[in-house]
Amino acid sequence: MPELGRAALVIALGLAVYGTIAGAYAASSRKRRLAESAQNALLAAFAATVVASAVLAAALVRNDFGFTYVADHTSRDLPLGYTLSAFWGGQEGSLLLWLLVLTGYASAAAAFGRRAGRDLVPWVVPILSGVCVFFAFLLVAVASPFATQPPPADGLGLNPSLQNPYMLIHPPLLYLGYVGLAVPWAFAMGALLARQSDERWIVATRRWTLSAWTFLGVGQLLGAHWAYEEVGWGGYYAWDPVENAALMPWLAATAFLHSVMIQEKRGMLRVWNMLLVVLAFCLSLFGTFLTRSGIVSSIHSFTQSSIGPWFVFAICVATAFSLALVLGRLPLLRTHTRLESLVSREATFLYNNLLLVALCLTVLWGVVFPIVSEAVRGEAVTVGPPYFNFFLRAFGLPLLLLMGIGPLIAWRRASLRALRRTFLVPLGAALAAGAVLLALGAGSSIPGVIGYTFAVFVLASISLEFVRGTQARRALGASSWLSAFGSLVARNRRRYGGYVVHAAIVLLAIGVVGSSAYQTVGERRLQPGETMRVGDYDLGYRSLVRRQGANATEVRALVDVRRGDRELGQIEAGKNSYPILGQQPQTTNEVAIRSDRLTGEDLFVIADQIDPGGAVYFKVLVKPLVNLIWLAGVVFVLGSLIALWPDAREQRRLAARLARVEATGARA
Amino acid sequence: MRLVIALSVAALLAVFLLYTSVAGGTPSLQPSELKGRDGRVALSGEAIGPVTGNARGEGLRFRLRDVEGTASVPVVYTGSVPELFRPGRAVHLQGRLRNGTFVAVPDTLTTKCPSKYSPKRQS
Repeated sequence: MPELGRAALVIALGLAVYGTIAGAYAASSRKRRLAESAQNALLAAFAATVVASAVLAAALVRNDFGFTYVADHTSRDLPLGYTLSAFWGGQEGSLLLWLLVLTGYASAAAAFGRRAGRDLVPWVVPILSGVCVFFAFLLVAVASPFATQPPPADGLGLNPSLQNPYMLIHPPLLYLGYVGLAVPWAFAMGALLARQSDERWIVATRRWTLSAWTFLGVGQLLGAHWAYEEVGWGGYYAWDPVENAALMPWLAATAFLHSVMIQEKRGMLRVWNMLLVVLAFCLSLFGTFLTRSGIVSSIHSFTQSSIGPWFVFAICVATAFSLALVLGRLPLLRTHTRLESLVSREATFLYNNLLLVALCLTVLWGVVFPIVSEAVRGEAVTVGPPYFNFFLRAFGLPLLLLMGIGPLIAWRRASLRALRRTFLVPLGAALAAGAVLLALGAGSSIPGVIGYTFAVFVLASISLEFVRGTQARRALGASSWLSAFGSLVARNRRRYGGYVVHAAIVLLAIGVVGSSAYQTVGERRLQPGETMRVGDYDLGYRSLVRRQGANATEVRALVDVRRGDRELGQIEAGKNSYPILGQQPQTTNEVAIRSDRLTGEDLFVIADQIDPGGAVYFKVLVKPLVNLIWLAGVVFVLGSLIALWPDAREQRRLAARLARVEATGARA
Repeated sequence: MRLVIALSVAALLAVFLLYTSVAGGTPSLQPSELKGRDGRVALSGEAIGPVTGNARGEGLRFRLRDVEGTASVPVVYTGSVPELFRPGRAVHLQGRLRNGTFVAVPDTLTTKCPSKYSPKRQS
């Protein structure tokens, strides 16, 4: 069996090399048959990767410890789901997943991308094949998942803190996001190679970018939720390099999703869009590199290995290739439209982009700072959460504000009188909310009050957009308010889906502000029978119980919770101890979280230290509104789905427009 | 005009970055590099026993050694102790050197898992 896997990977590599060379030759000399052959090679490379993946999956399921990879990452007593998740648990398997997703995406993108014009897809095929060559080469020559050994009696098993449903879904989602960003990049580079100066590549890849971006966003949020519930330090994001690795391409892709609208609408920002898509893709490679190479010290620290230098090489090649191509085609990308006013829809898009890219680059700077300072000063200097939090406030709060201003401002040039009229309601709502918040004592955190006030402003402005649109449709003859609202969204899925996503970001912002700026922390050592007070919660530590779970010894402190004169019931916080053959048992923190469904507030109880005598050192956090963060994830997916949903009307509009572009292109 | 905006934002950013990278940031050191330092640093190394004391009391005491080397320093730490902490593990904490003992900032101790999914291979 391992021979079959190895052979499949060698075949995939050969096909990818063929796709790159033959495809590039076919595209440059306009040989249609050869280009189709290269595209078929890409599809066949996908098939070969599917075979290799099936071999690995089968070995995992069968507990075939003759595969070194299987023995290193699973054990006999591991439940089936987690055994399968070991596919992406280790280095070699995750590289294989990269290749699988990449070849799959690439074949699909080439097959569905024809609309973008006949001369673009022949270039996309060799570009994506080139990326496949890199990953297939790593899998064949550097990190093979099909290494064999004399089978040991049992495998080494899976880290207990990862035996958790989130780990089944969080890593694959991130991969779908990371790899997905290769598609718009390949189309952009293809457009440059084919000397297409128009926006066909953007139109052809809109859904690819949007879905990759959605996967990346949801994947990160699930990771945050996992950290919050399972790791148990009371937070959900720690600015760790591995977390930032996923945030950076997401920020770049967010900027890209916005700025392409300006190019579609007004033909501006062509060079900028190219640079953004290059940034997003290179950051996704860099993110994979960060998580896999261990170059920056991170609490996550995946297996260290030899693939680091190869990744540096690949990132350099991809960056140099892209930038050289953009520079070489600069005359082609010259735009004839200019920004007419600094107070216009275009301008707000521009500000949004500058802020997003600035945030992305500051995060990047923070991540690489230890490496840079080591090289310059001979001493690695790390920047911690204060650095990142500072820039999140400095760039994030203005971004939040822009989300409220953008949708209400006119294209091209907005008049001050119109502005005053438009902003009266949202501004009034925001000021009123700010005053109420200050009266309620939210002034303890100035950034907090600003964040909340901006959030109200954005929500008011989004609601206003929905109300106005619905009124207009009702005036046009919709039978009821509901049908007017439905047809409003259905007819402008992109726009209103986007607004729903904005609402999700506002919810996220409120949740983050509430749970960080207004959290209350208390910690104390309690003997059984003693109580402590945190915020307006009274906690009474009743007793300690010890019991045997399915595969761990569980210790739990039973705590009675009261709020004012209301009994809220009993919660259990403690630790699990997992035995590991021949080693000290591994303990995990099992926190108690009591969510208030109405207010979205969490009471988060950590039994930080359990003394043999029964005394427990408790750390208790009250986190207001934190559940809005998870709600934001649901709204985010909903908004993305609305924007992604196929729309026959939009397709017709686009087809007509592309035909027009093609006609003018042919004339020029 | 666009260029002006871009340049002004870039300049602003550069100032921010310079400011924070000079003022903020903590040098990341190993025990052998600690000599003569009195400012706040991030220290990483391998924890070695015996581990004594109480992290929620007078302080947890252990030694930290260079990951590849023999130089080591006594450490006293208070605050939350990660579940993975034990002698032999690579750990990371912040603090400053006082009278030959590294006094850690509370709650800064983090451990590195030897590997994401599997315990260290005994090869």
